[in-house]
Amino acid sequence: MKEETSKVPENLPITGRFFAWFTDPAHAKYIIGFLVILCVGLFLADFTYKKYGHFEAETYKGFYGAYGFIMFTALILAAKTLRSFINRPEDYYGSKAIDSEEYPEAQLEKLEHSHD
Amino acid sequence: MIDMMPISFLFFAGALLIAALPKGSSGAAISLFIPIIAGWQVYQLPAGTFAEIELMGQTLEMMRVDKLSRVFALIFCIAAFLGNLYAWHVRDKVQQLAALFYSGSALGAVFAGDLITLFFYWEGTAIASVFLIWARGTIGAYHTGLRYLIIQIMSGVILLAGAAMLWRETGSIAFDLMTLNSLGTWLIFLSFGMKCAFPLLHNWLQDSYPAATVTGTVILSAFTTKLAVYALARGFAGTEILIYIGAIMTLFPIFFAEIENDLRRVLAYSLNNQLGFMVVGVGIGTEMALNGTASHAFAHILYKALLFMSVGAVLFRTGTSKASELGGLCRTMPMTAFFCLIGAASISAFPLFSGFVTKSLIIDASAKKHMVLIWAVLVFASAGVLSHSGIKIPYFTFFGHDSGKRPKEAPFHMLLAMGLTAFLCIAIGVFPDPLYALLPYEVDYKPYTPNHVVGQMQLLCFALLAFVVLMKSGLHPPEIRSVNLDTDWTYRKAAPSIMLSLGRGLGELLRSFESALTSLTKDSLTWLERTLGPEGGISAGRPLGIMALWIVILLALALIVGYI
Repeated sequence: MKEETSKVPENLPITGRFFAWFTDPAHAKYIIGFLVILCVGLFLADFTYKKYGHFEAETYKGFYGAYGFIMFTALILAAKTLRSFINRPEDYYGSKAIDSEEYPEAQLEKLEHSHD
Repeated sequence: MIDMMPISFLFFAGALLIAALPKGSSGAAISLFIPIIAGWQVYQLPAGTFAEIELMGQTLEMMRVDKLSRVFALIFCIAAFLGNLYAWHVRDKVQQLAALFYSGSALGAVFAGDLITLFFYWEGTAIASVFLIWARGTIGAYHTGLRYLIIQIMSGVILLAGAAMLWRETGSIAFDLMTLNSLGTWLIFLSFGMKCAFPLLHNWLQDSYPAATVTGTVILSAFTTKLAVYALARGFAGTEILIYIGAIMTLFPIFFAEIENDLRRVLAYSLNNQLGFMVVGVGIGTEMALNGTASHAFAHILYKALLFMSVGAVLFRTGTSKASELGGLCRTMPMTAFFCLIGAASISAFPLFSGFVTKSLIIDASAKKHMVLIWAVLVFASAGVLSHSGIKIPYFTFFGHDSGKRPKEAPFHMLLAMGLTAFLCIAIGVFPDPLYALLPYEVDYKPYTPNHVVGQMQLLCFALLAFVVLMKSGLHPPEIRSVNLDTDWTYRKAAPSIMLSLGRGLGELLRSFESALTSLTKDSLTWLERTLGPEGGISAGRPLGIMALWIVILLALALIVGYI
């Protein structure tokens, strides 16, 4: 995050400038704020209609939100733990593996964004 | 005439035409034209069986048309069109031919009414598709392609063995609903499972798809595994074990996807996870669940292709698809980023996007059967999908940390292919009824209820919130250049090293045997020289006497031998 450029260069397309706004760390608070408001709104929305479901848990207010938050966190932490067991250097499978070779240039069109 | 011919032949004819024509845009144009005619044909075809061939007392049904085969065939045609449009710039005939033979074989297999026809097309998909990997032209791709081909061909051979056993048992080669009560049906089940990337049989998928060309991966992602899902739905609907296999499939890839660095491999894990939902649907086997499987396969082919296209476009422009090397590309590739976000929203099943109206059929079918554990796993896996395909792919490629890369936007034809695919993802999400009408059974389901919309939005938004919390607290694992071990380790590392140490052991044994033999010979020669040589005990001192004695002994021996 520290290398983030906060100033948007002039030559970007409009859509690019629009998206770049979201990558600016200075704007992160707005995005997070919006997300928090959305989550609170969605929780409150549970009180506005009759909840039904095949299982009792589904009828609890905010069940899906809590389930999503907890399970997502558990997933990331579990994956992080898993990584410490199965992670290997990129050239682990030697030189005859795609992970340690470059994609052939001839099949690509590596072009830079032009300024016009 | 054309409607009495197997649809797959159209693709093969197109491929032959490309082979005959000179290199140029004509090949790419034919690749686009064929799926359009085929798709139109598929849409028009009446239900029934035709193009039957009598062969050695058996009837081969080349074209069995019903609602199940039609919906799969239709999405295969759409996928072939979109994939070939994305590959418009490719002038490599090998890839153009491979794409047409591959998609034609997949269509042929979907319409196969018997196991022998299925076998031929099954192997056809294997052989044609490997060229999309080899076309990359590197040593790594060559080796990966070989591994892929061995597994795919093996799946076909097992299918043939199963079909032969079933034929001996029942006298029929018809490809219909089967029960797992004999070795023959188990073999067929195993063969389908290999192509469907069942847990522990899955790793060919994550090994090979990232190795294909930029456009090859997009085409690969549509056919092989969904053909296997179709085959399972046709042959093993309602087989209970599939529910558990499918649930495991939804679960384990999400952990691997989270820590994988190559984004095309992340998408391969994600593909595996999505197949899990479809397999659960087949296992439940109710009308609603099978509708769910068919519709989810339809939607999945589109959004998965879209995600592969967007990452492919990044690879095309930057030369890498590794998350650790990317970031911040939304500045100069905003259209690609936008389409990627639509793919991400579709696979994550946000309301108004395609995944929302298809995946819920399967999850609801499991809830209707009161399978609480399966339901909980599927809902968890839905949050997991968001983590890698919904967040990781777009965030670490187009947003997040600025890699400093400023590549040019994807070429027009790629944007067009992505745009069309994105349009379909949204159209299905907003107007699900036309898709529902194509499904094998009548659909009695309303996806847009407050219960469902709010529930799903809560699940996804709170999961997003968890992502923000984890990123802010530094708990989210960073993207690092690395590989992760999976089951391919067994045949890429363990088996070779076991063979190597066995070979070394054997070599050691042979060497010590050889040296023992050498020293024995040397010792014998030394002894002989010592005893019989000019300096030896026997020769030394009394040469004449000894010589005479030996002559006497030899004469005596000759006499004994002569007279006995």
